[in-house]
Amino acid sequence: MDTDSTNVRLSAIGIVAVSLFLALFLRLWFLQGIDRQEFEAASVSNRLRVIHEEAPRGRILDRNGKVLVDNRTSIVVALDREPLRGMSVDEREGLFVDLADTLDSFGVPTKVATIESAFTDQRFAPQAYVPIAEEVPEDLERYLLERQDRFDGVVVERTAVRVYPYGNTAVHLLGYVGEINEQELLERGGTVPGADPPEDAELPIGAAGLEKAYQLGDSIGKSGVERSYEPDLRGVPGRRTIEVNAQGELVDVVALDPARQGEDVWLSIDVDLQAHAERLLEEQLQQRGNASSPPQGSVVVQDPQNGQVLAMASYPEYPPDSVVNGISQDYWSVLNDPASGLPLNNWALQGTYAPGSTFKLYTADAGLRTGLLAFGEDVINDTGVYTVENCTGASCRFRNAGSRPNGSVDLPRSLTVSSNVYYFRIADKFWNRRGEFGETPIQDTAADYGLGSRTGIDLPGESAGRLPTPQARAEAYDANPELFLERDWRAGDNLNMSVGQGDVLMTPLQLSNSYAVFANGGTRYRPTVVTKVTRAVDPAEPPGADGNYEVILEREPEADGAIEFDPDHYRQMWEGLAGVVQSPGGTVSSVAASIPMDWPMAGKTGTAQTAGRADTSLFVGYGPAIPGFPARYAISVVIPEAGFGGEVAAPLALRVLQPVANGDLPEVCPMAEQAACDEAAARAAELEELGGLQAADLLTTGGPG
Amino acid sequence: MLASSNTSTGSRFRSQDLSAPWRHVDVVLLVTSLIVATFGLVLVYSATRRFDGGLDIAVRQGMFVVLGVAVMAGLSMVDYRRVLDWWPVLYIASMLLLVGVMTPLGSTGAFGAARWYVFGPVVLQPVEITKLGTIIAVAAYLGSVERVDLRRLSIVLMLVGLPFAVTMVQPDLGSALVFVVVGVAMLVVGGVKLRHLAVLVLIGLVAIVGVLQSDALDEYQKQRLLTFANPDAVDEAASYNVTQAQVAISSGGLTGYGFGNGPSTRLGYVPAQRTDFIFTVVGEEFGFVGAGTLLLFYAAMIWRIWRIAQLAANRSGTLLCVGILAMLLFHVFENVGMNLGIMPVTGLPLPLVSQGGSAVLATFASIGLVQSVHMRRYI
Repeated sequence: MDTDSTNVRLSAIGIVAVSLFLALFLRLWFLQGIDRQEFEAASVSNRLRVIHEEAPRGRILDRNGKVLVDNRTSIVVALDREPLRGMSVDEREGLFVDLADTLDSFGVPTKVATIESAFTDQRFAPQAYVPIAEEVPEDLERYLLERQDRFDGVVVERTAVRVYPYGNTAVHLLGYVGEINEQELLERGGTVPGADPPEDAELPIGAAGLEKAYQLGDSIGKSGVERSYEPDLRGVPGRRTIEVNAQGELVDVVALDPARQGEDVWLSIDVDLQAHAERLLEEQLQQRGNASSPPQGSVVVQDPQNGQVLAMASYPEYPPDSVVNGISQDYWSVLNDPASGLPLNNWALQGTYAPGSTFKLYTADAGLRTGLLAFGEDVINDTGVYTVENCTGASCRFRNAGSRPNGSVDLPRSLTVSSNVYYFRIADKFWNRRGEFGETPIQDTAADYGLGSRTGIDLPGESAGRLPTPQARAEAYDANPELFLERDWRAGDNLNMSVGQGDVLMTPLQLSNSYAVFANGGTRYRPTVVTKVTRAVDPAEPPGADGNYEVILEREPEADGAIEFDPDHYRQMWEGLAGVVQSPGGTVSSVAASIPMDWPMAGKTGTAQTAGRADTSLFVGYGPAIPGFPARYAISVVIPEAGFGGEVAAPLALRVLQPVANGDLPEVCPMAEQAACDEAAARAAELEELGGLQAADLLTTGGPG
Repeated sequence: MLASSNTSTGSRFRSQDLSAPWRHVDVVLLVTSLIVATFGLVLVYSATRRFDGGLDIAVRQGMFVVLGVAVMAGLSMVDYRRVLDWWPVLYIASMLLLVGVMTPLGSTGAFGAARWYVFGPVVLQPVEITKLGTIIAVAAYLGSVERVDLRRLSIVLMLVGLPFAVTMVQPDLGSALVFVVVGVAMLVVGGVKLRHLAVLVLIGLVAIVGVLQSDALDEYQKQRLLTFANPDAVDEAASYNVTQAQVAISSGGLTGYGFGNGPSTRLGYVPAQRTDFIFTVVGEEFGFVGAGTLLLFYAAMIWRIWRIAQLAANRSGTLLCVGILAMLLFHVFENVGMNLGIMPVTGLPLPLVSQGGSAVLATFASIGLVQSVHMRRYI
């Protein structure tokens, strides 16, 4: 080949040209034909941003549809960081100083450093607004909106925050809402920069079947119903899909899924009864004498026929408004200081107490159902002191309170007068004849009433209490020998347990629920605080108004167990408990006489000794206690360091249920309408003085339905 | 040659001169260049319509196209040999224009590179004229000799080296490379000895290494080259252009999003979208079908220019076509290649498509000269 020929050399140029075009075609096909999907995803993530808008939460209503937790609008000043990024450092710094000064002058003290850290906060999406001040006054909102060119990048938003029309009422039950933490977010399938989600991460779905995803900055129920019904109460977040150009400026809203308010949750609580119980409990505790610990106490009222909680009071309380915008570190340490009485705790289900003589019901049942107290075996002469069989010495003698003799005592009488000796004898016989009855006949019976295990109430943080057994004691000792004095279970332990002393511990809720089991004839319902989940038809109307809601979930009573009572045994125990309140010699009878009720109560007092402290005062009972009538209310009152059950807890319990029985439960007034209510009350009082009966009707309502 | 045979083809044609230039217009070259320029207007409009006054930009570009077609027509009327006769004047004038841009008469543009004259609304990029001037000079000089000895080689190297050096100083790496490619192509076809060529390539390689080691390249130019060589090694800002261009083109797929609907185009994700990166618009909005068709039209143009180089009546005509072919081929390959991520980013326009009057006028002028060579292949 003649490499000097022009044609040959032109051909070389041609070959180069063909190769170059081939290369371009191949690369073009590679990009557009083969790798397309990968690059298309990059194109979408380039230009589309999803802005998440949290929806208002559902409301919480009492059983009659009164709103206990509502939402109100909070005005939030936030940063829109898009325009701020375009500014020079000096310009931005100037804006932040100006903004901080402006907020200060409107009574919202704000540091420039706070605004700066909001500006650089990586946890928020670049297009999301970062809040810098919440609950700002409306005139500040107006001021900022009128000067938008001066405050470029500052936005004013309105968000929903919780509001409590009845103030502190039912605060523990309702719980509070706070900002979701990283752990909670990960557990619900959210993403946190630099953290791996747990394997079982799953977003809980509520009764409405709606997916309600979270992201950082969202709020979540931290306690109470707010927490246990979080999947219902939470709203479906709105999603705004926007298209942004290369400068990050919004070009178009591509899709708009509006936020959807959460479902409304109805409680079994009657707010009038709840407020009444809380008021009486607080009055009682304020009268309390010197004690080694801050005042504490709880009242639980249940419907024995279905397990629903009608009222659940725990003292001390905290003002729920103080935590709606997050809890400051200082306030958090106050709330968690034992000296404050730990007001965040719901003692009605978190507190565990020795049940004292209220335990005797279970011991009595054990004696009856095993046949230990067969006819002829069930009457003793109570001298006030019981000596353990085959035992000598002072430590073998167990006494009644004050060593008081009760004379001839049968089973009903033993409950009515609360004879310890009667139950010591049962416990001693059980222990001596453990080859015949097993080691734990009393514990087995008590477990049927729900002792030693959580009731399964739809509220978080419940304690299981403690039902001691010889086996459990041995296991605990083996695990930590230095912590316990003894490994062996002795007759004395059985005796102590039979009267609710020693190692046995119960929550006030377990106590009321166990007597509810007895009161309804043997069905152990799982306690509930929520009756239904609904969605308002017209959000502008009150959520509880008739016809304005569709029911999404209706909670049916759930039985966790049942006790088959022999009718004669049942009658004996029933008479004993009724006698406590109704018979002469009953531990509550004289007090009951001073608290007239339209129907009588039955129940049992307890005065539990606690090491180094004054006695815990307990009462648990039910009413109406009329043969042939179903009991409608079960109540437990537990007040530590308050003294005799018959003197403190029992009268409190009777006074809680007195207006219910008498049909004159006062209607509690929402705080916003306090003035109007006071006026109405004053007018009613005036009319009553004049003998006007109609006025009294205005003030009363029926009991819970 | 064939020109003499026209008298023997029968009496019917006797009165007609079959060698008349107007009978030998290369229709394919004419039509493809008009189609590409028209398509270019569509793309410029798509890339600019989101701006206020975007239509004005497309209309201005349209005026340049019309002006360019007029220049093309005018030059094809003129015998290219008359043009080549003027090569020393054309060369010196175009060099003066190029050097002048670095005096206070010129304007400073992106990255501190001086590349333009601004006369009110008109921006002139002299390097496009210099490219053509250099091709004319080399074609005229080499066309007049049969052999390229060392002396002649040196003169050609000086003719090409001068604008190369000036554009390197400006700095305009892409255009400087155009002079290298054009020089090599014309020397190859012009008859340079292969051993001379081998030595030249060796010197060139040594020079490239030397340039990279020294500070002759600006930091941004090095960054672009590094981005090309190893996309992961450099910071995001430097590879942003390249990545966005590939995202836009690739997401167009087979048929594209349709005119005006390409998201990256519409939202301005690709920088320099109406100039250097305009190929992303066709890739995204018209897909493989549209972009491939555009490439086929370029290929057709190159093929015709190559063919005309073969058919040219003399050596200088051939060399003129080879120079223009090399220039356009390198523009297309480098520009499309950088859009597709297989070539480093430089500032070379896509011929007849990228917005910019000087390039359009120079390209049409080049095609006019090629047309002139074709039209006068028998006379």
